[in-house]
Amino acid sequence: MTFTCRDLDDTLREQEPSALEAARAHAVACPSCREMLALWDEIAAAAPRLRKEWPSPDLWPRIRRALAQEARHREGRPAWLTRLPGRLSLAAAAALALAAVAWLGLRGPGRPAGGDPTAEGRFLTEQALRDVERSEEEYVASIDRLAALAEPRVQRADSPLLARYREKLRLLDAAIATCRAELDRNRFNAHLRRELLAMYQEKQRTLQQVMEQET
Amino acid sequence: MKSVAANLLNDTSDAEDAVQEAFLKIYRALPGFKGESLLSTWLYRILVNTCHDLGRRRTRSPEVPAADRPEDVREPEPGAPPVDPALRLTLERLIHRLPPLPRTVFVLFEVEGFKHREIAGILGIPEVTSRYALFEAKKALQTQILASRRGRTDA
Repeated sequence: MTFTCRDLDDTLREQEPSALEAARAHAVACPSCREMLALWDEIAAAAPRLRKEWPSPDLWPRIRRALAQEARHREGRPAWLTRLPGRLSLAAAAALALAAVAWLGLRGPGRPAGGDPTAEGRFLTEQALRDVERSEEEYVASIDRLAALAEPRVQRADSPLLARYREKLRLLDAAIATCRAELDRNRFNAHLRRELLAMYQEKQRTLQQVMEQET
Repeated sequence: MKSVAANLLNDTSDAEDAVQEAFLKIYRALPGFKGESLLSTWLYRILVNTCHDLGRRRTRSPEVPAADRPEDVREPEPGAPPVDPALRLTLERLIHRLPPLPRTVFVLFEVEGFKHREIAGILGIPEVTSRYALFEAKKALQTQILASRRGRTDA
């Protein structure tokens, strides 16, 4: 099929590689399409420069205050939180929220997920890593406290369902230990940190399910 | 998160308010997060919805356009092609005239580097809708920039 100027919009909409190649070949001899394609590429090249970064020293303290205030005035906590002692439930929920978002800071859409500290150095500074590790410790401590509360029920495992939860928790703990050992070898590996977060979230969900089981 | 909010709201102060509000929503909803989507998708969905709500509530124009503050603009990546500063400023101005969906998709895809699959998850739309919304955004920007350039040439 011969590419014509009328095909350009459809090609740019669908982004099909072979059609784009045909469009670029056509544009070599077509000034109008060449101009359109050049501007299309210019927009794509300029857009990442619209990404904004600015210092916000007051933002985190503001968010922490708002979260603390929210917790104080909160009514009707979720069932799994009400089973925890009052201060612990606040700490657990706040740590979960903060850790989740601190962890998210590592994600950086479009950035490489590998463990090359020089390539990621712009984003994954030592300070940021320390913040993440601190949040991670708080998050893990909250889950450990939840695990301690669930432990008697898990050990008793007086139903097939609870026995399955116990086995799942055992597997998760083994996977977490393996992942942590890998992370000890490369603290900058954002991919491993996301994997670890996913495992902790699964452990948290499983513990919640255990706690929600009728005795 | 601040950058997404700033580009959706065109105001850094509003962006910080949106991030704070999003954190509160995340805090309220986190115990109920069932893991049906990626955590990052879920968090950005809350942020984008918060920005849309805040944008609807606030119609005031920023006293100082965000782009006028040099510290607001990210330095180019090493090896990145040079970008015409005038084009960047024009884009910054024009994206806020786009309809909400094309603007949001443009910001997430072209500015923040999300993939269509991720955008579809964040916005709760099919991937093809994300692709078409991006085309709509870029086509509108292209048309306006071309008209402006031709106007300057003719003058």
